Amino acid sequence: MKIETKNLTRIYQVGSSKIVAVDDVSLSIDEEAFIAIVGRSGSGKSTLLNLIGLNDKPTSGRVIIDDIDVSGLSNNQRRKTRLQRMGFVFQTFNLLPTLTAKENVELPLALAGKPQREQEEKALKLLDAVGLASRVFHRPKQLSMGEMQRVSIARALANDSEIIIADEPTGELDSKTARETIGLLSQINRKEKKTVVVATHDEKVVEEADTIYAMQDGRVLGTH
Amino acid sequence: MRTALCVLGVALATAFVISVGAATMRYTAVIKEINVLFSGQVVVVSKDSLVIQAIPIGGSMLMQNRTESMIKEIPSAEKTVPILFIIPLGVTETSQLVPPNFTMGIPVDDWHIILGSSSLEGNAGRFPANESSQEVVVGSSLAGQYNWKMGTELTVKGYSLNVTGILDAKVALLGRSIIMPLELAQNIYSYNDMVNIITVKPAAGYSQKELASAVRENLTYVNALTEEERNDIIQPVIAQVEMWNQGIEMVALLINLILIMNVMVMSVSERRRDFATLEAIGAPLNYVFRIVVFEASLIGVLGASLGIFFGSLSAVVLASLFTSIPLVQFFGGIFDLVPPLYILEMFAGIVIFCCVGGIVPALNATRTRIAEALRAEY
Repeated sequence: MKIETKNLTRIYQVGSSKIVAVDDVSLSIDEEAFIAIVGRSGSGKSTLLNLIGLNDKPTSGRVIIDDIDVSGLSNNQRRKTRLQRMGFVFQTFNLLPTLTAKENVELPLALAGKPQREQEEKALKLLDAVGLASRVFHRPKQLSMGEMQRVSIARALANDSEIIIADEPTGELDSKTARETIGLLSQINRKEKKTVVVATHDEKVVEEADTIYAMQDGRVLGTH
Repeated sequence: MRTALCVLGVALATAFVISVGAATMRYTAVIKEINVLFSGQVVVVSKDSLVIQAIPIGGSMLMQNRTESMIKEIPSAEKTVPILFIIPLGVTETSQLVPPNFTMGIPVDDWHIILGSSSLEGNAGRFPANESSQEVVVGSSLAGQYNWKMGTELTVKGYSLNVTGILDAKVALLGRSIIMPLELAQNIYSYNDMVNIITVKPAAGYSQKELASAVRENLTYVNALTEEERNDIIQPVIAQVEMWNQGIEMVALLINLILIMNVMVMSVSERRRDFATLEAIGAPLNYVFRIVVFEASLIGVLGASLGIFFGSLSAVVLASLFTSIPLVQFFGGIFDLVPPLYILEMFAGIVIFCCVGGIVPALNATRTRIAEALRAEY
């Protein structure tokens, strides 16, 4: 999946003041690339990821996926694109607390209308791949932070997503678990040929990235 | 915890409605069915009697022979049956809302007029042989309570009476009655030549209305009521009871609705991140909507089930307290007290109201802005 943004701007109205979260950002994410977006808190990394991941609509500018402008897509079309082509990994994992690890991974498959048996097989395979074969029936509360993040990565891969969008995936993890998570994302990028876009402070992630975009005050300052 | 309290709230409201509803429904049903006993007859009572359906409450007695002979002279009257109806309220029983039993004295030749299609339990036993025999038939509910069987000797006001049959009564009033020959009842209760009801069958070609007005014209000290008039007397009371019942039901259902709505609104606002996550991974809005409405209806199902269970139990306890009939007797006929159709109606009503209560929170959940909700600190 190739993603481009052209003059992407997102302005939030808070009371009477306007906050420019993303300001005229143009960038390109190549297929099978590992991209890191770095910057301080409030620099606009998460907003940019939400715009790229079609979770938010830009105030102006365009998001182009595989040469198709998706800025004008309806909510339903955006949802379908997210479901079929994108996977999300969040800083706080965002697993549904009432579901087991397996059920959390099955969820995108169920939403895509896959048969129950296929859901189960795929979820077990993915959980095995992230090293959680023995934690399948545990609920999020019974898992460690690192394990929860691995379940979250498995969920992001469930529908064979072409791109994994991760917002501070190591933000809540200790250094050892953070290293393992980065290794897992890197492995997914190299072996599974998935595009990975990570917003991060973590230098270890930066070391793995093919391209690094540095952000400040909603603008991309430079590329490495 | 909050959900459990909400379920409990729904259950309490439901239990209250069920217990009050069932108890009042039973009362109205019992009152309505009394008239079935006197179907097709004009009922003559003393003018100062308060009549509930065909049963005179208080008022003066009628002189049996004089009144009967005067009625028989009316051309539109074909057949008269004098009845002595006693509600035996003792000193300790005066606070009872519903009397625990009744005594009916009816001439032995005319029992079929009152008993209609009721038969003796197990087709065993017999009706009393003649007016002077000290024999009685007792209703099945009363017999069950005191373990009376055929051949049991009862003592009523010093008279020793032999039970010759147990009446398998469909009508609650008969189930709680001791039925005996008229003359015996008059002797026991010292009402010689006195009755408080005379039923009159219209002669061929005459309507109940014509007969009743003829009786009223000829006997100034009596009131003659047709079946329709007897129903009319009780109708406003029953309508009012039913209206209060419906009012209580509506209030309880509205309480449930508001309770569910509040709890679900709080639940949705606390789980905004979960809904945002669901939408981010591709869940359609109607999926999120259905989750919230399903949760609301689940609370309704649990609350209604618990409420119906405990409401039915408390209806039994209430009925037992008000009638002094033992609990065990009501348990056997719990579905007479709380009819299955009423249970179904209440269950469906509560679940529907809970679903409706879930709609606003569900719409709230679908309006979650993914980016905002994912960014927010919870």
